[in-house]
Amino acid sequence: MTFPVKGILTLITLSGALSGAAAATSYPLTITDDLGRKVTLKAEPKRIVSVLPSTSETVCALGLCDRLVGVDDYSDYPQQVTKLPKVGGLYNPNIEAMVALKPDVVLVSQYGKLAEPLTQAGVTVIAVNPETYDEVFSKTLLLGKILNREAQAKALVGKIKGDIARVEILTKNAVRQPTAYFEIDPTPYSIGPNSFMGVLLTKAGARNIIPASMGDFPKVDPEFIVKANPQLILGVDAKTAGARPGWSGISALKAGKVRDIPAELNSMLGRPGPRLGQALMGLAKLIHPELFK
Amino acid sequence: MQAAAPRRGLGVGLGTLLLAALLLAAVVLGTGLGSVTIPPGEVLGALWRGATRQALEGNDVIVWQIRLPRVVMGALVGASLSVCGGAFQGVFRNPLADPYLLGVASGSALGATVAIVAGWPRALIPVSALLTALVAVACTLSLAREGRRFPPTRLILAGVVVGSVLSAATTALILRGEDRARQVLAYTLGDLGFSGWRDVLTVLPYAALGCGALLLLARALDTLQLGELTARSLGVPVERLRLIAVLAASLATAGAVAYVGVIGFVGLIVPHMIRLAFGPGHRTLLPLSALLGGALLVGADLLARTTPLSQVGIVTTLLGGPFFLWLLRKERHD
Repeated sequence: MTFPVKGILTLITLSGALSGAAAATSYPLTITDDLGRKVTLKAEPKRIVSVLPSTSETVCALGLCDRLVGVDDYSDYPQQVTKLPKVGGLYNPNIEAMVALKPDVVLVSQYGKLAEPLTQAGVTVIAVNPETYDEVFSKTLLLGKILNREAQAKALVGKIKGDIARVEILTKNAVRQPTAYFEIDPTPYSIGPNSFMGVLLTKAGARNIIPASMGDFPKVDPEFIVKANPQLILGVDAKTAGARPGWSGISALKAGKVRDIPAELNSMLGRPGPRLGQALMGLAKLIHPELFK
Repeated sequence: MQAAAPRRGLGVGLGTLLLAALLLAAVVLGTGLGSVTIPPGEVLGALWRGATRQALEGNDVIVWQIRLPRVVMGALVGASLSVCGGAFQGVFRNPLADPYLLGVASGSALGATVAIVAGWPRALIPVSALLTALVAVACTLSLAREGRRFPPTRLILAGVVVGSVLSAATTALILRGEDRARQVLAYTLGDLGFSGWRDVLTVLPYAALGCGALLLLARALDTLQLGELTARSLGVPVERLRLIAVLAASLATAGAVAYVGVIGFVGLIVPHMIRLAFGPGHRTLLPLSALLGGALLVGADLLARTTPLSQVGIVTTLLGGPFFLWLLRKERHD
């Protein structure tokens, strides 16, 4: 018996796409946020404050940049958010300024303690912050739902995944995938393979020397790095690396494969948001310049 | 000479031997163990090849260029902080005194933080630390001064206040310099990672000069324990002794704090342990504190490297805090 599997699948996909395109978010909308709180939005938010740079980027990528009325001190992309009122950072949030902006919703990170005082001040607060690679997509969709831009969110997720796939096709064919140490902080801290940055490092065509067992953003014992003897070191300049005790013998230093991360790429890499594909592209160019000639 | 010091418990000669053996054991363990396990034979081979300037092979680099300088740095810093702590406790006849008193450590930390946040060259870090340590001491002394005298209680109060203000300034700098925040935070928690031979050689003169001077003052410090008036009548220039001791301790503390940061409780508890075991005479207290302090910090760093506690300052505070409370209770019962 032949079963029209393909036909049914097409039908499901089609109906899904149709309903997705047609359905608008219906308010009041109740969701569970990243702090485990049940939050109800009475209507589509028109005045939005974002206190997370990656969230600011996502809101703009959903076409709602003009609804942002305030952002945190570190939001600097796209350019137009830099002109918005600043409401502080994680350590020094300016709660009064946030309340004064009369936002319909404040999008916060699960860190910092903004939810309680803002809620008490009568402001709706939703904690949304992606941490893993997969969460970049799920939280983008969630933001789309919250802000009544579900179709745009789906399109955005599709675009980011497309950007990533294009880089991956190139790096998968790379003849040699160097073992790499990626330093995000000179104390030193690195990235584990399961962190979103670690996933990008692998997709960019490198083999992370940090095992998953060490965690997502582990503090690394310097002798571990020397023992692992990576062929590539990212996130440190060559002079600093060379001056560290015992590092001059590491393969990466002998071969001159030590690359500092340019500031713009660095800020992209640190933000689990819509520029993930661009960040991957930048990283892949550093690791495999030969593929992008 | 040592026999003249009051004894309690163990004999001083045996104690010296035991503590020296403890330090040696800590150094050997600290060099052999870590995130990469290296068998003793390989460690010895690496030490031999390094000492005779042969080519380093295999794990030699780890032993000779990463672990050994880190261990030596730990011993140096532990010894410095302990000797300074013992000297401060003697100078001010206050059991709670250590390099944190007088704002010396906080001053050093501020100077080092400025240097780190501003991105100055590494060799300038201890210099900057020393300068701010001296400014901090000068502030404390001028605040505490009463005519020509520095009454101990006023001195301690002034030191605590100056230290708090400087710590607040350091914290403000950490929060301003977001990019280097974690680097500076790690530093203020005390960290021996990335200590190399060059750092050891930079810190060595500070430690040697500072601790050397304090050891030479040991007999005068003993006399001071009889009380200021008695000391004065025995011909000890009390004010000058205090000043020189404070300067010497500032020098050693600045060196210790410069690269590895603020490591709590070592300077406080080590002299107490030695005093409990060998009595209060400074001519035994200071050198034995150096041995035990060195061993303790090397051991604490080994724990930091091999457990999720991750930083030596965290280990010393976690171990030192409860020990100190026990010490307080015990002294009350005595």
